[in-house]
Amino acid sequence: MKPVVDGDCEGEVVLVDQYMSFLGEVDPVRGIVKTEKEEISVEEKILVFKGSRGSTVGSYVIYAMKQYGRSPLCMLVKEVEPILIAGCVIAEIPLLVVEEYDDFAGTIKNKNHRYVRYTRGSGILYAW
Amino acid sequence: MYLTPEQEAMLKGEYGWSTAKAMEIIVKVGESLGAENLVKIVHAHISGVSFSNIGEHGARFIRDFYEKGGRARVYTTINPGCVDYSGLQSIIDNSLINAQKDIDNALAKMGFNPVFTCIPYWYRPPSPGEHLAWGESSAVIFANTFYGGYTNREGGPIALAAAITGYTYNAGLHLSENRRATVLVTTAPDIDRQVIGAVGLWIGDNIREITVIPFAKHLTFPELKILLASMAASGSHAMSVVPGLTPRGTYIEEIEEKIVIEKNDIDKYIGDEYPRGSSVLGYVGCPHTTLMELMEVARLLERYGSPRKGRLLLTIPAEYTERYRLLINRLKSKGVEIAAGTCPVVSRLRKKYDVVVTNSGKAAFYLRKIHGLKVRITGLREVIESVYA
Repeated sequence: MKPVVDGDCEGEVVLVDQYMSFLGEVDPVRGIVKTEKEEISVEEKILVFKGSRGSTVGSYVIYAMKQYGRSPLCMLVKEVEPILIAGCVIAEIPLLVVEEYDDFAGTIKNKNHRYVRYTRGSGILYAW
Repeated sequence: MYLTPEQEAMLKGEYGWSTAKAMEIIVKVGESLGAENLVKIVHAHISGVSFSNIGEHGARFIRDFYEKGGRARVYTTINPGCVDYSGLQSIIDNSLINAQKDIDNALAKMGFNPVFTCIPYWYRPPSPGEHLAWGESSAVIFANTFYGGYTNREGGPIALAAAITGYTYNAGLHLSENRRATVLVTTAPDIDRQVIGAVGLWIGDNIREITVIPFAKHLTFPELKILLASMAASGSHAMSVVPGLTPRGTYIEEIEEKIVIEKNDIDKYIGDEYPRGSSVLGYVGCPHTTLMELMEVARLLERYGSPRKGRLLLTIPAEYTERYRLLINRLKSKGVEIAAGTCPVVSRLRKKYDVVVTNSGKAAFYLRKIHGLKVRITGLREVIESVYA
């Protein structure tokens, strides 16, 4: 894995296995991700998703989540783009790219792993 | 990352807090994308200025930059806010006007042009190969695809930072080798151009790579705007290649995969038929209408009197109300609702409609997600008929 915005990252994971537009698909006031099927709370969790799509306003939505105290602890993604990086930079939320994302998401989906730990600068992501 | 002495001084705070903070954001994002240096830009376009979307914290972020001395170093335009300054309509809720004004004042006093539109190319069309730092996903993809300008999909804060410093990081689509289109997309012959917005939503949802879209060269300018905006809404497309239209030398074409879009692929994006007697909000102007589209709407309305099944909303750049007053009055006389400098995606609506009928895939994507509305995508003529016929 590769840190994009480096920082400690430890906690319970929540998987939203898609690309998402923070504008429209995230409610920053409640810390909720809205998918087609359900609403998922990401507050104080490790948010695992494929990456960002849609609106360039997304950076501000990430910032707002943090300011409302409803943001994930950190984000693990398959790929990054400027909108997501800028949001995590100004909100100071660690952002990590998981190179073997599909395998990783698979193990979370099968409930084999529910927690992860990453220590700033270490380059190693533990999951159990 | 290599910084020039001037850029280094900016980062160290010799140009004040705002410039230093702006430079810090650009350098951090650039480093994480592997940029080796920064690139000078000629035009920044700032998205994320609607109070309805960015809220109190985003507004504070922008005002901080103004209050601590941030000023435009390059030509900069501003995206739509959440209120209508024309006073010509009753659809969009203007109750956030004071909160929006605080943002607008900060932006205008920093020296940014208060055009409040998502079609900044209307004010300054980019030249091929020019470096830009644009927010607003629909404008970004249009700049790269139609004009051959070089810009990434900058998040709102990066575009703001680039406007204040005059630079952005040299990575992504600023580098010619990354402007490489690898997926050829064609559409089945029975797909109608009326639902081009739905085609765009499908591409955004299903393809990650830069696409070559030969069918797009048969579209009008407004239809191309709608197609590209939809791709950028449901996906993270920042450019596409339309052979014969995208300026040569601004892209590389190396086809590795071919995809055909079938008619039933796009059904779910078009939306359901709605029952007779539904209250309809017809909507045109996402992205904002050009003058040409306004004239076309006026022409299509000639045979009708007043709206019969709901309202028709048009959204336009802020200055059109003054500049094209006669045309606007003509539309008003037909009962058209016209909002300037805003749109339903970045604002709140006064009342709920049973269905929104629009030619815009992007509007459909966000109105469904943000406002939870039922939306049906169709052509411009049919949008007007849905309200007036």
